[in-house]
Amino acid sequence: MAHEVELQTAGNMWKVLVKIGDEVSAGDTLFIMEVMKMEVPHEAPADGKVTAVNVEEGQEGLDAGMVAVVID
Amino acid sequence: MIEVIKPGLESSIQDWPGRYGYLNLGFPWSGPMDSWSMRLANVLVGNAPGAPALECQFMGPTLKFNQAAVIAVTGADMQPKLDDVAIEMWRSVAVTSGQTLTLAFPKLGARTYLAVAGAFDVPEYYGSKGTFHKGGLGGVEGHAIQAGQSLSVNTGNGQAGRQVKEGARPHIKTDKVWEVEVVRGPNDDWVDDAGHQRFLSTDWKLSSKSDRSGFRLDGPDWTFNERAHNKLPEHGSDPANIMDQGYPVGAINVAGQTPIILVNDGPSMGGFINPYTVPQCAFWKLGQSKPSEVYQFKEVSVAQAQQQARDIAALCTEASIEQV
Repeated sequence: MAHEVELQTAGNMWKVLVKIGDEVSAGDTLFIMEVMKMEVPHEAPADGKVTAVNVEEGQEGLDAGMVAVVID
Repeated sequence: MIEVIKPGLESSIQDWPGRYGYLNLGFPWSGPMDSWSMRLANVLVGNAPGAPALECQFMGPTLKFNQAAVIAVTGADMQPKLDDVAIEMWRSVAVTSGQTLTLAFPKLGARTYLAVAGAFDVPEYYGSKGTFHKGGLGGVEGHAIQAGQSLSVNTGNGQAGRQVKEGARPHIKTDKVWEVEVVRGPNDDWVDDAGHQRFLSTDWKLSSKSDRSGFRLDGPDWTFNERAHNKLPEHGSDPANIMDQGYPVGAINVAGQTPIILVNDGPSMGGFINPYTVPQCAFWKLGQSKPSEVYQFKEVSVAQAQQQARDIAALCTEASIEQV
């Protein structure tokens, strides 16, 4: 089953820690956003393989709700 | 009691007008960034407009009610849900003991306000119950709320089924471009004519390095007049330096070349010039804008700004409420 990881806040993409093909475990940090001078880490909801990464480091003005990473 | 399951992103108890009158001691006003929305949330549940309510930013909290309550959610649409069932914004809603309120990310805007009938019961500190998170004072134990805390609420007389009339609500921009009022001064005479024209005609972009202390703006460089270049040494070496002075709340503080709007939790003094000031009536726009959105500044007189603040205050009353 595919898990879509959505951006939980508007803001900038500070770090992207995974790439397509990576094996991740539930709770692993996938990427870290920046808003209000705070880091907002986003974690994997389940074990699996990363099948899509739709964000890049340095992107600005992202809106919440977009699918950033897909885990299958 | 209301139990904090997830705190959200620096969600904090704020009251209005906040810690007013202590800038000389270094205490900022704090208070809600969008006081228009917060006051209406309080009016909906029968509280005084300025009573302490919860300000939620960018990512909302999850709260479990261990008592019955009447609540209202206003401001940015954080898609509020009670036990996974969507509830209306801008409306008073009955909560039964055991229900969980979830606020997600705002679909539009940035800050959402939760008022509870009776209002949050937190101690007063220097004239306000509002939180100055960075200073560690006010609100709940001096900081933003944290998972595992219990929030107490005073007894209230709220009624469900009341809503704010459409025309009385602030309208959050969908095109990401905001016209923000400014008044001149106090240090407008340090900027040259070209600098003033540039400031008022530029699309300034809100940086993500912005929080409740300061809103940093990206845009062109400033130019200054003779006074800024040819001055006594105690003013400092940079053209934007001036002998340390008090800063107004809302000052557009030119830190070298970067303008920073000093907002609710901002510093009370320093040694940079403030050529313009954002008046209180426009603060709700700052509170509801997100990083990378654009500000276009419009100069107004002090009298116009004060009238707009009075107009907003007149909307934050029972006259703006209707039965559903």
